Amino acid sequence: MSQDRLTSLAERLNGPGADALAGLADGEILAAWDETVAAFLDPASPERREIQDGLVRSSRLSPEGLEAGLAAVLGGMRGEPATRLFAEAAALRPDRWPSGFALVVLSSNLPALAVQPLLPALAVRRPVLLKSPSAEPLFAPSFVRALVRRLPALEPAVAALTWPGGDVALEAPLLERAGVVLAYGDEEAVADLERRTAEAGGARFVAYGPKTSLAVIGRDAAGTGIGAAGENREDGGLARDIVVGLARDVALFDQRGCLSIAAVYLEGSEPAARDLADALAAELARLARKLPPGPADPPAAAAVQQLRAEADLRGLHRPRLEEAPGHSLPVGAGTVIVEPDPAFQSTPGLRTVRVHPVPDLHRLQQILAPWRRRLQGAALAGASAAALAPSLTDLGISRITSPGDLQHPDAPWHNGGVSPLTALIGG
Amino acid sequence: MGAMADDLVQRIARFLRDPGAGRFEALTLEAFAFQVERIPAVRALAEARGALPGRVADWRQVPAVPALAFKRVELGLDSGGGEAETFRSSGTSGRARSVHRHAFPGLYRAAIDASFPRFCLPRPAPPGGVPMLSLIPPRADLPDSSLSFMVDYVLRRWGAPEASAYAFGAGRDGGSLDASAARRWAEARERDGRPGVVLATAFALAAWLDAPEASGERHRLPAGTVLFETGGFKGRGRELARPELLARVADRLGVPPDRVVREYGMTELTSQLYTDVLAGGDPELFVAPHWVRVRVLDPEGPSERLEEAPPGEPGLVAVFDLANLSSAVHLLTEDLGAIEPGGLRLLGRAAGAELRGCSLAAEEMMALRR
Repeated sequence: MSQDRLTSLAERLNGPGADALAGLADGEILAAWDETVAAFLDPASPERREIQDGLVRSSRLSPEGLEAGLAAVLGGMRGEPATRLFAEAAALRPDRWPSGFALVVLSSNLPALAVQPLLPALAVRRPVLLKSPSAEPLFAPSFVRALVRRLPALEPAVAALTWPGGDVALEAPLLERAGVVLAYGDEEAVADLERRTAEAGGARFVAYGPKTSLAVIGRDAAGTGIGAAGENREDGGLARDIVVGLARDVALFDQRGCLSIAAVYLEGSEPAARDLADALAAELARLARKLPPGPADPPAAAAVQQLRAEADLRGLHRPRLEEAPGHSLPVGAGTVIVEPDPAFQSTPGLRTVRVHPVPDLHRLQQILAPWRRRLQGAALAGASAAALAPSLTDLGISRITSPGDLQHPDAPWHNGGVSPLTALIGG
Repeated sequence: MGAMADDLVQRIARFLRDPGAGRFEALTLEAFAFQVERIPAVRALAEARGALPGRVADWRQVPAVPALAFKRVELGLDSGGGEAETFRSSGTSGRARSVHRHAFPGLYRAAIDASFPRFCLPRPAPPGGVPMLSLIPPRADLPDSSLSFMVDYVLRRWGAPEASAYAFGAGRDGGSLDASAARRWAEARERDGRPGVVLATAFALAAWLDAPEASGERHRLPAGTVLFETGGFKGRGRELARPELLARVADRLGVPPDRVVREYGMTELTSQLYTDVLAGGDPELFVAPHWVRVRVLDPEGPSERLEEAPPGEPGLVAVFDLANLSSAVHLLTEDLGAIEPGGLRLLGRAAGAELRGCSLAAEEMMALRR
């Protein structure tokens, strides 16, 4: 990789790339896009087979976890949601769309994230350079190749490359020529890139920094349901689909996504929280077989063991995840802790979740206030939880769903509260 | 505190002085039982893990108290009016501070007596004491720092009063260097030729080397001078990679890498581990004194009792420290390490509860910072 190569690329994107995109109809792009997404959703397709092993390794998910993760990311990026996104774009005065390619700096923690900025860029006819992280260099280039194969006219308008992040000299010609920079990453890396973008000439800069998510379960969500051992309960046990949904929202991507749940706030008493924790632990144990965790990162595993020991030392309720009585599952299968202190805390990951009993959900806005703009999603169940939606939105939460749907955003989703189209064209 | 407690403290103190004065295995089980009886949090952990005294036959089965717990839980014996100290961690890197109520500071001093000279003092020990320069703030500045407690004690115990000095005070942004005092001490050693000991955190050392007032200074400290280095940078300022730090110390102070002793300790423990470089040991491997055992545990294991990682494999460092009688004799640290034939190699910290989501993986974050 060289400065000259990137300079030529930038000029290609801004010249022939922009012209090529301008000449394409929405229908052509969407057709090629849908076919490409379908190919990457199909484990038997040549495109998937080519990168499957490498993607399992680089994503550090199990094969089943990768399959589920790709379905979650790609599933909402085709068909009706994609068409809807293009319709929204068309309503945004195309004659006023700014020029200059979009430089997208991706992060490595989740596979296939490249599609989330790529589709909107095509919708607003903005040429795109996707920079993949060194830790996951496979998906974006493979997807772009497959897309261009299906619509060769796109070739000058899209590119996906990898180079070591933070290389000031290498990135300078890109920052000077880009019209907009979308940056996914931690605060330090994003701040550094934002500063250099401003110094280079001030392309629009949009940051997608680290965030986390939570669930809120209202008292009225309880009803005839299923207990932790699968028994029918008439005494108000939480409905099974809520528990199953919560577990999925914790477990998908091994909890590495910004829409992964780190905490559940249950309107009710500590005994009710213990019941929920038991049911959640049992479901996470079942999911550990169906959606096995990937290899655990040793520092994260170490941090989880610290949390577990601290919980035990404080006498907190911590149901064990077991594959059979007396046989515990690996640390990556999950950890559930009932935490009486309502303060929200993020977790080290590895499917670690705290369940907080809260007598009055109206306190939640105050409890979550320190996390304003660092929360991404909320899974809500029950009318009293649903009533919190406006206040949660005020805190910066951009996605509110039922448990189980949180990690399936679709194409028009406003990541970080920002429309994917507005991120690219401003206004 | 009671006669039983006093007796156990005395026997542990004797064992620290003389490994022939007791049996490690027997003392560990006594110490554990003592803590279960008197520290509710330790009892709660033992009950939760099904590992109360009577069911524990070996120190490895003693449940390890997580270092994290010192930030939230009362984990110290009531001294019953006897001498006691309260130590707090530095609270750097934006994290909550650990609080360690130390009911037996005499054991802390005994641990220092039994280890510091062996690992850190020039040999033969000069009459009249060893010139010492501390770039660690004195206790008067940081009364709740266990490191300052240690350094004050070391200077009183072995330092030559007329040739010892402090050159770092507490203050904002990690403290303030007195570059003039450091320079005067170094120049005095160059004149009198007496090898001494410089005690410093990596942060303070780098501050001295980078100080504008010290720009261009080069000292040739006498052969035999020892640098005692501890603490790291802890998220403050520009971190120097270790090879660079050692190279700069050799160039600017004349202290070669084989005279740089590293110390591994923490607020939550009483005893320290050291690199045994003065005896020709590996400069990257930490050695424990005879009353301390170090294991590396596999953090990915399913079991509530973490298993030992194979030699050379990374894992969570667990320390059994008999001198830590007033809180947790068995501590699960937040550090990663690996056991090698010559000792413990430290590999970094366990991850905190950092936000992930759309953020970079830890490896990329580290790469960006280099």
